[in-house]
Amino acid sequence: MRSPALAIGWEFRRRHRWGLTAVAGYLFVVAMIRFLILEPGEPVLVDSGRFAALVSVPLTATFVYLLAVFSFGFAGDLAARHSIYPARMFTLPVTNAALVGWPMLYGTAAVAILWLAARLFAVWPSGIEIPLVWPALLAAALLAWTQALTWMPYGLPGMRLIVAVLCLAALETVVLVAIHFKAGEPRMVAILAPQLPLAYLVARFAVARARRGDVPDWRGLSARSGETTNVLPRPRDHFASPGRAQVWFEWRRHGRSLPALVGLLLPFELALLWLAKDAAAFVFEILFLVLITPPFMAAFTGWTGSKPHPNVGDSYGVPPFSATRPLTSAELIAAKLKMAMWSTLAAWLLVLVAMPLALEWSGTWSVVTERARHMNDAIGTPRAATVVLLILAGFIVATWKQLVQSLHIGLTGREWMVKGSVLLTLTFLILLGPIVEWIRDSPSVQRALWNALPLILAGLVGLKMSAAAWIATRLDRSRLLGDRALVLGAACWVLAVFALYGVLVWFFSTPFVAHYLLALIAILAVPLARISAAPLALAWNRHR
Amino acid sequence: MSESVISVSELTRRFGATTALDSVSVSLPHGAVYGLVGANGAGKTTLIRHILGLLRAESGSVRVFGLDPVADPVAVLSRIGYLSEENDLPGWMRVDELIRYTSAFYPKWDDAYAEELRRAFALDPAAKIKDLSRGQRARAGLLIALAHRPELLVLDEPSSGLDPIVRRDILGAVIRTIADEGRTVLFSSHLLDEVEEVADHVTMIDHGRIVLSAPLDAIKESHRSLNEAFIAHVGSAATPGAEA
Repeated sequence: MRSPALAIGWEFRRRHRWGLTAVAGYLFVVAMIRFLILEPGEPVLVDSGRFAALVSVPLTATFVYLLAVFSFGFAGDLAARHSIYPARMFTLPVTNAALVGWPMLYGTAAVAILWLAARLFAVWPSGIEIPLVWPALLAAALLAWTQALTWMPYGLPGMRLIVAVLCLAALETVVLVAIHFKAGEPRMVAILAPQLPLAYLVARFAVARARRGDVPDWRGLSARSGETTNVLPRPRDHFASPGRAQVWFEWRRHGRSLPALVGLLLPFELALLWLAKDAAAFVFEILFLVLITPPFMAAFTGWTGSKPHPNVGDSYGVPPFSATRPLTSAELIAAKLKMAMWSTLAAWLLVLVAMPLALEWSGTWSVVTERARHMNDAIGTPRAATVVLLILAGFIVATWKQLVQSLHIGLTGREWMVKGSVLLTLTFLILLGPIVEWIRDSPSVQRALWNALPLILAGLVGLKMSAAAWIATRLDRSRLLGDRALVLGAACWVLAVFALYGVLVWFFSTPFVAHYLLALIAILAVPLARISAAPLALAWNRHR
Repeated sequence: MSESVISVSELTRRFGATTALDSVSVSLPHGAVYGLVGANGAGKTTLIRHILGLLRAESGSVRVFGLDPVADPVAVLSRIGYLSEENDLPGWMRVDELIRYTSAFYPKWDDAYAEELRRAFALDPAAKIKDLSRGQRARAGLLIALAHRPELLVLDEPSSGLDPIVRRDILGAVIRTIADEGRTVLFSSHLLDEVEEVADHVTMIDHGRIVLSAPLDAIKESHRSLNEAFIAHVGSAATPGAEA
């Protein structure tokens, strides 16, 4: 192996040999179906479900896999601030151009070949003109931009995911608009081809920055306000308790990310209100967008918060500094849960202050009050007020839940578990679309599902309660939680379930929905097993 | 002799096919400076991580102050001062924040002593940990390990972060002070000169096995130096301290 190009290529091949073999195997199987099973020239009438199962879902999954492989997504921490480009490669005696160019070349070639192979060898429905060149170019452009955006160091944890999702969505939107206007292949190529050199230049800038250790830090205040902080007297008094100190530690490390991200996005979202003055539907779409921003962002920042040490290479184990704090694992988790609560409240405080101000200043406040008046007339003031408050509370609780629900996975410190969980989630998301489509298109399936709904819910409740019972037993045996804490936690959970059940019964006061179904939904909605498992996960990681 | 501060019995630990510790038994009495020496990869840090409860004993037992450090981490860790070889203090903290944060966990934290150490180590309270030099970070770690006057001080390769001129003065003074006050020090190092200067008792570990454990005076009586004892029990190829 005499050249950096071969060495970098060898690393991809060696490390992902099984995955790449599986991809080749899949292409071989679809080619066999096309050439050996189907008669030449026979019209292919495949329904959407079969086509999804055979081509679109596996193809999408393979594309996502290749994105992860060639952007070093399996090795790096997507939610961290520092570049996910492997730092060990920065010390190789090669130029930035080589560090960027070869992985980009291999990656873009791989996804382009994937498309061309699928286009030429897979079974496609007859009567549809499937383009050959520009989808390959689109796949290459998406991969190149993914590399550029994920290799870039960012100022805030979780920001990489948001920037990448927004930029890639923007590129997809441009393509969809071009398709809408029936742009031909040459025009599509003209749109997509310049993306590759552009992405390469951005990636070079990103790697050069990461290579010289230039990682911006926006977690605190900006540089200017940082100077102000230095001038201000710092608190010198002691923390009231070790628990308070640990909450402060968690807040400083993770807590500010969510309010900061929400604060960054809010001005752009609320600015749309100025464009939507006369369109009531658009105003409410914008408000909905604003309301889902905190829980959506929490899903990203929650992943960072669940990792014991986001800033080191071995980011899965608990670092000695944290592991040797004289606190129980349950107390360490309690600090994380409290931090999540403060982080949620801070993010929502921003939303609840900014939203009315923006509505007032943009002149759209009247649209909201008009709708509120209609609601008031329809269901009465107390009910209307309660509905609004419940919706708001639902969003706030959902934000907190997003922040804490992956703790039990991230804190295990087992790489296979973390990556397995990500893989399962991705698989679920990929399969969700075809499954929903299948259910939507099949009335018999809908009927069967509706009839089986009580059984399905009861099964899920049984699963949840069994998991909770097992976890409670383990917590008790390992003395991670005392009897009093276990009983108190169970009592709080039961209280929350009853409260939610009461709200659901009040809200769905109709004979069409049985009360026991609402009880099952309440039991499933209030978090129990996953949060209870977090101390066990941390203890498993802390005492290996 | 009073009850042992640390009592490790028949401890074995494997990482895959590698045996990191092989039936290790150690007992540390009160008030001694205990040197744990061995080449890199001999098993020193693995043993220390068991003592701190960061590793669970797969076979054998570990007791610190008579307690299981995994089952009762709070009772054990609140009496231990620990300086990690990894020096993983949070880079975003300022020195005064580190002191304030750490003091919350230790009821016996001595503010005056912490301030005295901060001055002695010339640490700027407003400086961020990430902006400190490696030696300064080690001093900051040493400060928070010492300021609660722990009953047991565990130093894992402390010299790796200190320059040769000051490390002997600082560590020597600290270790002597603690030992004089009846506290116990467990001090791991691959620098034999350093261990020879401060330790009362020396344990040599090689490939996860204890090859020698004896008072330093006894070792010196049977061998001319610790270095010679090391060569005799471990072999010249693994002789540590060459870089010292």
